[in-house]
Amino acid sequence: MLALLLAVPMAPRPARAAPELLQLFVAQPYLELHTGPGRGYPVTQVVGRGESVDVLYRHTDWFKVRTERGIEGWASARDLSLTLLADGSHYVVNLGDLAGFRTHHWEGGVFSGAYQGATLVSAYGALSITDNLKVEVNASQYLGNISNGYLLGIGLAHVFVPEWRVSPFVTLGTGLQINEPKARLAAPIDHSDQLGYVGVGLRIYLTRRFFLRGEYRSNEIFTRTNANEVNKEWMAGFAFFY
Amino acid sequence: MDGRLRLFLLSALLVWACSGCAAWRKHEARVHEQRAARAAQKAQSAAGDTAPEQANAPPPVVVVPQVQRRTVKVPHIRSNNVELGAYYGMLSIQDFGTQPVQGLRADYHITEDFFFEASYGRANAGKTSFELLSGGIQLLSSAERRFTYYNLSLGYNVLPGEIFIGRKVAMTSALYLIGGIGSVKFAGDQDFTVNFGAGFRVLPTDWLSLHIDVQDLAFRTNIFTVYRLQNNLQATLGMSVFF
Repeated sequence: MLALLLAVPMAPRPARAAPELLQLFVAQPYLELHTGPGRGYPVTQVVGRGESVDVLYRHTDWFKVRTERGIEGWASARDLSLTLLADGSHYVVNLGDLAGFRTHHWEGGVFSGAYQGATLVSAYGALSITDNLKVEVNASQYLGNISNGYLLGIGLAHVFVPEWRVSPFVTLGTGLQINEPKARLAAPIDHSDQLGYVGVGLRIYLTRRFFLRGEYRSNEIFTRTNANEVNKEWMAGFAFFY
Repeated sequence: MDGRLRLFLLSALLVWACSGCAAWRKHEARVHEQRAARAAQKAQSAAGDTAPEQANAPPPVVVVPQVQRRTVKVPHIRSNNVELGAYYGMLSIQDFGTQPVQGLRADYHITEDFFFEASYGRANAGKTSFELLSGGIQLLSSAERRFTYYNLSLGYNVLPGEIFIGRKVAMTSALYLIGGIGSVKFAGDQDFTVNFGAGFRVLPTDWLSLHIDVQDLAFRTNIFTVYRLQNNLQATLGMSVFF
């Protein structure tokens, strides 16, 4: 029994599995390693052709790598796209260019605009199902003289020709309008109503991972009265993809 | 008998004579050439018929490779583009004094130059000069003095660099410009806000960052019954962690 008690703490603990790192082989004359994740940081190490590096993690378009000699540094995504995998094929990196504008996983952005005359602050995120079709969620706040409020929405966006630098799209979705009349007015009543929207807009590729996005929407508010409201909304701003 | 012998001898003479005759030899050579040409034509036509079949036929197996191609599964590479943190500092609310402010910050680094930032902060406004001088008059209730805001901003790392401590420690840093939109809830009202400013970020490690940040939160309000632009300067210190 004593031996068992003594044996338990002395038993070797199972080794913690080290995270599997991507190994890349330098195929160009040399690979430059910078001291920081940016083009301006000085190059202090180079890795020669045929040597390998382990990729530790990524920060924007820069990868922290470790050489065979244990030296760590930052390599650009563009340089790593010239390296080879262990099977001899090229390592493919999404460089965030016009091709990425056409094909990407998700995107997001911040907009300013107007909603029935009130100033609008809006943010959205979208997940790509195909190059043409995206599922979008958006949250907005409108700030007017009579009332403030929020808009929440979920819908689909269809981009007609995603490879164009300037590509039109249409949106269709549903959501919620939460209206908060100004407290200084008499008998303020907060209420929320369901809405459906249809919109049309333009996406304009700028550079790297950025594009401009502008949209006009017509919101059909399903009010509790007999007649529905139609509220016009437009917004424009910066968006990015990844 | 003599006749048969004579015929045999004449035939032998004819054969001998013809084989030595130049005209006959030329004729024989022509016949040989024609036969060779016909044979070559036949061979060519036969080869033409079988060529497509030979092209489609699999190449003869010389060596059967026994090596299996190595397939590499590319593992997921961890990204640390998201930065979450908190800040604390002072906020000068126009006409309501300078008060402590605290907030939360979330950044997403898109490229080495640009980042998005969402921030939320709150402070409690002090008293106006009028309230201090007039005795007990209160322009706002304590709930209305709560100043809360959010901003959605785009930042630009205008001066990336490194700072050095001693001979062995180097930390990446960046001076950045930032600007955006948002809203402020103050004095029982909520107003559209524009924020802009500059900050300095230093990274002691790849996962930790320290911020010094100065911004102006500007909005139009009618707290004092007339709409006017209100500028509120904020200076904060912050700490964030990269994920």
